[in-house]
Amino acid sequence: MDRLPRGRHGLSPEFVARNQRDRLIAALIITLADVGYQKTTVSMIGRRAAVSKSDFYKHFDSKDECFLAAYDFAVGRIRSAAVDACSAVRSADWATRVRVGVVALLTLLAEEPALAAIVLAEGLRAGRGIYDRYQAAVESFVPLLREGAPDGPGGQPVPPATDEAVVGGVASLLSRRVIAGESADLTGLLPDVLEFVLTPHLGTEGARRIISAG
Amino acid sequence: MSATRPQLPQEFVAAHKRRRMIDAMAALCAEQGYEATKIADVVRRAHVARKTLYDNFSGKEELFLTAFDTILADAETEVAEACDAIDPADWVARTEAGLRTLLEIVAAHPDAARLALVEAPAATPASAARYEAAIDGFIARLREAAPPGPGRPATLEEALVGGTVWIVQRQVRHGGAANAPNLLPELTEFVISPYRSVGKR
Repeated sequence: MDRLPRGRHGLSPEFVARNQRDRLIAALIITLADVGYQKTTVSMIGRRAAVSKSDFYKHFDSKDECFLAAYDFAVGRIRSAAVDACSAVRSADWATRVRVGVVALLTLLAEEPALAAIVLAEGLRAGRGIYDRYQAAVESFVPLLREGAPDGPGGQPVPPATDEAVVGGVASLLSRRVIAGESADLTGLLPDVLEFVLTPHLGTEGARRIISAG
Repeated sequence: MSATRPQLPQEFVAAHKRRRMIDAMAALCAEQGYEATKIADVVRRAHVARKTLYDNFSGKEELFLTAFDTILADAETEVAEACDAIDPADWVARTEAGLRTLLEIVAAHPDAARLALVEAPAATPASAARYEAAIDGFIARLREAAPPGPGRPATLEEALVGGTVWIVQRQVRHGGAANAPNLLPELTEFVISPYRSVGKR
């Protein structure tokens, strides 16, 4: 989060405003990870973003509004990490795409614990309003998982509810680790998460083959 | 009222009043959420004196936490009874019986289900901690009951409980508690399928 140089910088007011808004969002995410939602104040966010309190209120009506914007931003980052990774191997088979997506997801969460915290831990405790966003974010991974997915090992299609439960289960597992302060170790969950996600479609043996093929 | 009518025992009345306050808390949370619910609303809904509430609970949060504990304990008792009625060797049937009972409880007590599954995780830090502890309890139980198997991921039960709760929670959140029992076949399959022995397709 670089501060803009003081004085003349030749940047348009729109860009500076846009930039201020992004800085405030980043500052909220970091502050939240440090001190939690309750203790985060507008002054703390402003100080970290090097944005005055009055400028804060040009962008957001309240801490809550900034929080919602930050939540959406964080969800967008996490989701696009997985989506981009999957599209980079678009022509590969389903299991490979899933593996690449899960790797990208766990890597980003491990490397950016503040993103993991707002989306999977602290955010959920910020009141009931945020939960709809959390739910929508988690559910948005279901079509990604089902795209091009093979039928179950017995030849029957895997019901949508199974993949919904799988995605919800993974979110819950990751959330538990983040709440426990173990974000940095999330990539260690890769084999477990992959087996959980692949098994309904490939069976246990098929899933384990993919995992050990690495 | 007849003069000969026996008085209800004191403890019975007291327990009944506690129950009414807990039920009122659940109903009000379902209608307006924890945050908007005031002690005055609970007192009015439960038909108890304000003093009675404060004789029993230190305030809104303690009443809420007690409601959560009560709902959970009742559900656990019922689920355990349903499981114990089935032959311990038949793990699949026991799991299905437990899930069925849980879903039936959700359908029969939608307000309580909402308090425990939707409000508790976000109401207060203490309620969030209790919610997490309850989830831990379910994970431990599944781990204990599940058949042993080679090389199964250590996190499997966490993901299975998390996924099951996720589906039920979503159903309750969207006002579909009454239809929760319809989830039984898919949830049962979801929970038991990872334990099917490797090699048996």
